[in-house]
Amino acid sequence: MKPLALIGTVLAVAAVTAALLLSGSSYAVQVAITALIFVILTASLNLVTGTAGLMTLGHAAFYGVGAYAAALLSTKLGLSFWVTLPLAGLVTAFFGFLVALPTMRLTSIYFAVATLAIGEMIVVAITNWTGFTRGPMGIRGIPSITVFGHEGLTVNLLVVLAATLVSVWAIWRLTHSYYGNGLRALREDDQCAEAMGLNAVRLKIEVFTIACFFAGIAGALFAHTSGYISPESFRFGESILLLTMAVVGGLGSVPGSAIGAIILIVLPELLRGAGNVRMVAVGVVLFLCILFLPKGLFGEVSALAFARNQLRRAGLGWSR
Amino acid sequence: MFDVHFLQQIVNGLSLGLVYALVAIGFTLIFGVLNVVNFAHGEVYTIGAFAGLLLITSVAPPLFAVLLVVAAVGALTGFGLERLAFKPFRRFRDEASIKSRAMREATLLSSLALSIVAREVLDLAFGGEMQVIPQSYLLQTPIMIGGVALTDGNLVILGASILMLAGLQWMLYRTRTGLAIRAVSNNVLGAQFVGINTERAIVATFLVGSMLGAVAGIMVGLYDGSIFPHMGFGPAVKAFVAMVMGGLSSIPGAVISALILGVAESVATDFVSAGWKDLIAYGFLIVTLVFFPRGIFGYSRERV
Repeated sequence: MKPLALIGTVLAVAAVTAALLLSGSSYAVQVAITALIFVILTASLNLVTGTAGLMTLGHAAFYGVGAYAAALLSTKLGLSFWVTLPLAGLVTAFFGFLVALPTMRLTSIYFAVATLAIGEMIVVAITNWTGFTRGPMGIRGIPSITVFGHEGLTVNLLVVLAATLVSVWAIWRLTHSYYGNGLRALREDDQCAEAMGLNAVRLKIEVFTIACFFAGIAGALFAHTSGYISPESFRFGESILLLTMAVVGGLGSVPGSAIGAIILIVLPELLRGAGNVRMVAVGVVLFLCILFLPKGLFGEVSALAFARNQLRRAGLGWSR
Repeated sequence: MFDVHFLQQIVNGLSLGLVYALVAIGFTLIFGVLNVVNFAHGEVYTIGAFAGLLLITSVAPPLFAVLLVVAAVGALTGFGLERLAFKPFRRFRDEASIKSRAMREATLLSSLALSIVAREVLDLAFGGEMQVIPQSYLLQTPIMIGGVALTDGNLVILGASILMLAGLQWMLYRTRTGLAIRAVSNNVLGAQFVGINTERAIVATFLVGSMLGAVAGIMVGLYDGSIFPHMGFGPAVKAFVAMVMGGLSSIPGAVISALILGVAESVATDFVSAGWKDLIAYGFLIVTLVFFPRGIFGYSRERV
């Protein structure tokens, strides 16, 4: 048996990419790059908020840490994209680790608000530390991605696509492993999980650090594909957008994250003619989703069934 | 140390703190009764300011009438908010589901969603920049008392806040509605057993909390001379910090913490630039959560 749905997804992604590149529309390619970056971000947020049940309201700030790390490393030290990409991930992961140490004793609402506060602290620091980050003016002239001397939109799209596929694959395998089961146990009842021998605090710190690593990767991709970053892109509103994507797609579901991110990036672009209603649309979609579709478009139960089925067909994982 | 300038900063800080206190009371009441965070509370504050502004530019009534109408608009907003964002998630009436985590997170997200919609609709309708307020309504006339420059805004905020806080205490401890609110906040199931209409108590909580928030919004708008769609975020976050510092469901704790926060922010402007000022509230929050998880006044609380 072959994992037909999985192969089908990869083929569909390849087909869409080919269509985008053949259409020659740089606008469409730009939207696709943004959507892919948000797929990584939403999947990493979903690992923390959906699978491990720790609602975080400051994820965009870690995305910002990654973007600023990549931008500063490349503009000040002249490092190339291939060095700054992993370094940005590691720097952000280290940041996340430091943040996780004191906050992981908190549960539900308290954790959500602590992450909100830390996210805003990071943005305030980026905005006001003008000597280091150039503050509200942002950083310009970040070198773009080069592969064997080639650069441009096509290269950007292909590199971002590759990074997204690798990241989502890693997060997907992590979610559907014994480790992911531990995280779900933690979400349902952390005291019970501890009684069964899981080290709850350690698991939480680890998963937060991992999620921050991927947020940093997304930030580096954003910095190098757009060439310009400013603190405005990493504010609280962006964290809410990420959370909305995760909720719309389905908390705890990796395919759901991708679906949610793509819908909420592409839909406002289609609505562009109707004026500046992007954030209103986000709010309305979030509200309707919570009210009528609390499990999301591709809920965790379907995601688990899908993953078990596909992994068994591929002869991988724990569900043989 | 205790020179006139310092006294001036303390006065400014107290008046800022009173505003945070009014917003924090709304949070604290709602948290006490439903055990949920109302993320749209900052937008109630904004809506109060905009309602007052519309009234001022269209009818131009005396200030006292403006405050009364804004209070009514705030109560109405609170009612609508409760119906839209909180009622649909109270499908079951037992205590376990009323205080469950799923309910808490669903209402957190639904109130967040409504707050985004409210803020962005205001942004579309009025534009993101600051609104023009008629000069005669600005509460910025200076009054000198022994070298300390008060403005009439300080006095209005002080008077209105004390009046509303006293009214709230009277409402909570001297009326049947207040008794019902305290009963529900103490024990939902017990309140139902003795025949209290919990739905009504919950609605009353939203009415009162939103009323205070909306009045705070218009007072600050006239005092600072700035009314804009995103004005609610800062005070809401700081009021939340005050609530957590005060021990979550304690109103006196929240008021005292709000005053501490206001004075700290005002005094800190002597030492750091305005941009870094916001860090103080967040710093207080993190320190409280990590070192004093029961709030700095040590009220008992479940695990945080």
